[in-house]
Amino acid sequence: MKNIIISLLIASFLSISGGSALAQNQEFKGTITLSGAWAIYPTAVAWADAFQKKYPKVRIDVSAGGAGKGAADAITGLVDIGMVSREPDPSEISKGITSVYILHDAVFPVINDKNPALEQLMKKGISRQEFIDFWILGLITTWDQIAGVKVSKPLHLYTRSDSCGAASSWAGYLGKKQEDLKGIGVYGDPGLLETVKKDSLGIGYNNFSYVFTREGQLVSGVRLLPIDSNENGKVDPDEIYASREEAIKAIRSHRYPATRKNYFFVKGKPEGLIKEFIRFALSEEGTKIVDEVGASLSVPEPDREEILKGFY
Amino acid sequence: MHISGKRIRKDAFARRVMLVLTCAISSLILLIALGLFLKSRFILSGVSPIELFLSDKWHPTEGHFGFMPFIIGTIWVTSVAMILAAPAALFSAIYLAEYAPGKLRDNVKPILDVLAGISPVIFGVFGVLIIVPWVKDYIKPFAQGYLGFIPFLRSDNFTGYSVIAAGIVLALMVFPVITQVSEEVIRSQPQELRDSSLALGATKWETIKYVVLRRARPGIIAAMILGLSRAFGETIAVLMVIGCVAHIPHSIFDAAYTLPALIANNYGEMMSIPLYDSALLLAALILLVVTVLFNIVAWLILLKVEREYV
Repeated sequence: MKNIIISLLIASFLSISGGSALAQNQEFKGTITLSGAWAIYPTAVAWADAFQKKYPKVRIDVSAGGAGKGAADAITGLVDIGMVSREPDPSEISKGITSVYILHDAVFPVINDKNPALEQLMKKGISRQEFIDFWILGLITTWDQIAGVKVSKPLHLYTRSDSCGAASSWAGYLGKKQEDLKGIGVYGDPGLLETVKKDSLGIGYNNFSYVFTREGQLVSGVRLLPIDSNENGKVDPDEIYASREEAIKAIRSHRYPATRKNYFFVKGKPEGLIKEFIRFALSEEGTKIVDEVGASLSVPEPDREEILKGFY
Repeated sequence: MHISGKRIRKDAFARRVMLVLTCAISSLILLIALGLFLKSRFILSGVSPIELFLSDKWHPTEGHFGFMPFIIGTIWVTSVAMILAAPAALFSAIYLAEYAPGKLRDNVKPILDVLAGISPVIFGVFGVLIIVPWVKDYIKPFAQGYLGFIPFLRSDNFTGYSVIAAGIVLALMVFPVITQVSEEVIRSQPQELRDSSLALGATKWETIKYVVLRRARPGIIAAMILGLSRAFGETIAVLMVIGCVAHIPHSIFDAAYTLPALIANNYGEMMSIPLYDSALLLAALILLVVTVLFNIVAWLILLKVEREYV
């Protein structure tokens, strides 16, 4: 008799706990597929891991392959969410895509730390117009013209050869498209960084996540060329970034100008599980994951609320 | 009787399955061509062929799709690679087939196999680490110092990312291919020919030059074309060292851009933008057609060789 009662108790306990688990899982069950930009990929994988831990019945597949692939896959319905590291094209939106601002990123101009005019450059900085003069117009060809000192050295201009978010946002900062950027094309973020590291007269640009080490220091061999964003002709202390922390602060306070938004592309309006995943990505918890991964920046607080409000 | 009937049916069935598989694989090329054509029709109907093939303006977001820089760039790089690789490969093949002792040949051939089988991206990395700095620090200063009066050796490109760097990397890649095929062709020539030539008092080199090579010529040309089509379509190794600047090169030290590199660099990012996507697939179609043409020519030559001699 005692045994029966105990076993009944256990059974009922089991059924209750089983039932509640079932209730929770019934709400979120299924598969979400994502594909697209390399820049978003590491963060998305971390989100997926955490989300699957929270809802064990949900499966999330994340694959990388470029922003265009993500967009195309989302348009054709091959995946639920396309990861796109650039501004959406009107032709994409017209196909019924909802773009959700999901991550923040920044691009920094990078020079070699043995640049002959380094000292002057770090004092004076470069204005947006000067960038335009050499990267877009090809008017400036020597370091003398930028640094205002006589070093008689040519400027070795590099750019990305592959279509990418970094190049399109850097070109966007200069008011143009990637195809307008002059310079020798080098493949990939690490490739471009390595090239500038090896060329004392070189200048390139890199994504936020590539210029700092895991410990948050600037990678050795290069400097971030200060952008004189208030155009006062000199570099202010908050225009120099030697560590990730300083850079993040400048990006957060909108002090740093060359930033970009990364998007999730969803066909139609996000609903059900997909909506929940996006909400998770933009939640406090999701934000913490973004910072832990360190590949991108989270969406600033007010924007996050704005986006979430748009959903409900 | 019953068992044998079953076996015959089995045999016939297996034959049909194999036939279907063969046909399916062979028709793949037609399907690819058709797919590329259907996708590129969009740009062909929107932009005039004159602009597509003769304009050097590449500004997709402004609607300018000039393939000229990419076509010329591809021709430049392929030419440089073939000029570097073809003679070296031919002489290596002659040496291996005619002069080399059996033991040496047995040792060198596996090395060529390995070289031919190395992944292109490794050649690309090798190019970035070794060839590009070498071009920048040695070849270019030398060429401009002593031979700067020749127009196609002058350039204001300050890096080693250039047509010549891509040409060297490609030459390294096609060299083993051309050598292997040429060696086979040369060695397959009948021994009687060599013997009679030598018996008439010709030296070994005279025999090779006037008898063996004359007869092997079509086969060697086919080997060259195979190398050429490999060089023409090579993507990643070229992309990593050529500098990817969309303008028509005027010097072997200029940076350039090739059709395969154009597709590889942009397709993943731009395939969701219809006109851009269509333009890239047109580039793919051009590549496919040219490669198929090369291969058909090589195949016809080899067919002729077989008919004449076998």
